[in-house]
Amino acid sequence: MFKLRLIPAILLLLLLAGCKSDERILEKLGMVQTASYDLMDDKRLKVTYCVPVTDPTSKVRRELMTTVSDSLKSARLQFSLQTDLKVVSGQVRETLYGIKLAKEGLGDYIDTLLRDPSIALGVRVTVVEGDAGDLLSKTFKSHNDTGRYITHLLDKESYGNSVPATTLYEFSRDFNDDGIDPVAPIVKDGGDKVVIEGVAMFQEDRYVMRIPAEDGIIFALFRDDLRQGEAAINLGEKDGRPVVVMLSSLLNKRKIKVHQLAGGRFKVDIYASIQGSVLEYTGEEKINESKARHELEQKISEYITAKADKMVEQMQEHNVDSLGIGSYVRNGLNYKEWTSLNWKEVYPEIEVKCHTKVLIKDYGKYS
Amino acid sequence: MPEKLSPFHIAVLVYMTQSGIVIFTLPRSLADYFGTNGWLVLIPCLLLSSFNIYLITLVFQLGKGRSIFEIMEQSVTKVILYPFYLGLTAVWLVFGCMIGKKYVLLFQMLAFPTTNPMLFKLAIDVLAFMMLIKGIYKMSNAVTLFFWMTIWMFGLLLWFFPSFRWARFTPFILHGGHDQVKGAMEVYAAYLGYELSILLLPYVNKNKSKKSMAAIYAGNAFLSFVYICLSLICFGFFGPGQLKKLLYPVLDLLAYIQLPFIERLENLLYGFFLFLVLVTVVMYWWAAQLSIQRIVPKVKTPVLLVILLGISYCISFVPKTLDQVNVWITNLGYVVTGIAFVLPLLLIMILLIQRKGGASHV
Repeated sequence: MFKLRLIPAILLLLLLAGCKSDERILEKLGMVQTASYDLMDDKRLKVTYCVPVTDPTSKVRRELMTTVSDSLKSARLQFSLQTDLKVVSGQVRETLYGIKLAKEGLGDYIDTLLRDPSIALGVRVTVVEGDAGDLLSKTFKSHNDTGRYITHLLDKESYGNSVPATTLYEFSRDFNDDGIDPVAPIVKDGGDKVVIEGVAMFQEDRYVMRIPAEDGIIFALFRDDLRQGEAAINLGEKDGRPVVVMLSSLLNKRKIKVHQLAGGRFKVDIYASIQGSVLEYTGEEKINESKARHELEQKISEYITAKADKMVEQMQEHNVDSLGIGSYVRNGLNYKEWTSLNWKEVYPEIEVKCHTKVLIKDYGKYS
Repeated sequence: MPEKLSPFHIAVLVYMTQSGIVIFTLPRSLADYFGTNGWLVLIPCLLLSSFNIYLITLVFQLGKGRSIFEIMEQSVTKVILYPFYLGLTAVWLVFGCMIGKKYVLLFQMLAFPTTNPMLFKLAIDVLAFMMLIKGIYKMSNAVTLFFWMTIWMFGLLLWFFPSFRWARFTPFILHGGHDQVKGAMEVYAAYLGYELSILLLPYVNKNKSKKSMAAIYAGNAFLSFVYICLSLICFGFFGPGQLKKLLYPVLDLLAYIQLPFIERLENLLYGFFLFLVLVTVVMYWWAAQLSIQRIVPKVKTPVLLVILLGISYCISFVPKTLDQVNVWITNLGYVVTGIAFVLPLLLIMILLIQRKGGASHV
């Protein structure tokens, strides 16, 4: 019996020697953290990888590699020729796409990334105004690693919902859903800083239009429920001075109601029910008086509604359904009706009305 | 007197045997073959498997807890039985072995892609061997431990709630699928494993026979509950369109879990699934061992196991790719499903004939 027990023990020991060919030594790995992709004029792909340098004695904090290749993965083979490290993509956090590439469609690239088992669904998808490789290669003052800088910037902003937190998961999910189109944040080189430019809206996988960053929160209010956010609302001017109210700690419940009209038309009502705290108000009304506060709530909701209506109009003009109205229309139909309906043709024609209800929860600690 | 299995151990054993490698592909199969709201198919599967378990409990009641081999050998000649036993052994042995191989090949997509898969397979086989030589009672103790070691992962489903939307389900019931018959067989294969409970009958504590039979249902029901929760999360998290494209949606779910200091947690989590797969493999091999032992009762169990596992290891060299392994598993799954229904039916027939023929044998 003793001998019988020994056999498995020896076998297990021998097995340990088996994985030599897949040995990974941390110091010899080039773990790509940010990757950027651009479309060249000859339709080839410019790929830039940013690998953090972990050696504490080294002066540089990152290693940049750029190549022009025919595909995402063949670029990695070319990078291997440029560096003493083994290039691996298991720690990629961010992928940047040049605007030109985004206009052509990201579907194929997202497909390649999702196929790779070493790449997780949580990798960010970001569009860059101009050339993504140039932005990633540039070093910004007080930020050693531009890739990480962009990731942190977007992480922080998407937490406040002013830009969508788009990862491979969200992008591919919305791309494969027939009732919604994907969105992604868009950034640009702002000289000495990276600046968030707005929200890029896609028709299926092709970038079509954008909304400016300051309207990002309004878009978010009508896209989903929110648990966090801040909005600065401009209520016009008083004596040549802008009247601004700052709504913080936003909570939002969104609802979409679809009405089917005669002749196969649709009318859609989108409701946003917003709660928030006022932390700044430059107008003259006394907001600690409930009447004035209610008026203010009314003004805020009118402002948001007007903005949202205009935004939806633009989206309909460009035929992008970034709010996911399609999925609610679909859910009100039976299968045959939905499959025989060409949503892309119907969408620009439907009547959409946004409704906003604002509740000021509190107004700070000063009257 | 040999030690008996408690009802709780039986329930855990049934659940752990059933849950295995199919869990990785199940949500996709549901979406791909049955389209929108494909998760609903799990409910008829639960009913059908419960009916099958009912047949098994009938065997227990009619046979008064005797082993199925004793029942058969009482009325059927060995000339017919031995080839039948040999067939059962072959199917159960190779089925278990292919499940193990599939786990290894999937694992290699995540880690150690160029290492020879048969090395990992050997490691799993050695583990399985060490469990098998201990006998069913100790195995069931180990399985219960494995159960507690893996069941916490169920709580990970909470992670996906923030991105879960009912709107993604669509109101359409089973639209946009294809090859539903093949799909139904594939989905039903996810339930396989409960049929081995027929071999547990002699180990049931006769004082708790009702509870023990209920335990088989409970194990199966718990598995269905896990499957339904997982599929609901997948449909609400990915949507049917995306699910169709993901080959291993559960791997993607695991990969979505991210902590600030560690990326690619799925490598760690995938390891825990080894326990589920190991139990499935071990139970099928245990079944194979029991039936071959009726032919060669004199060979010592460890020796017999070495021979059996040796043969199965050699067979597992044959399919090289994931697709080939899938073909083996699908085809063997058909046979195992057939056995699951036919074996209790046959036994019930034999038992009824034995009853009619007089109570002299009983």
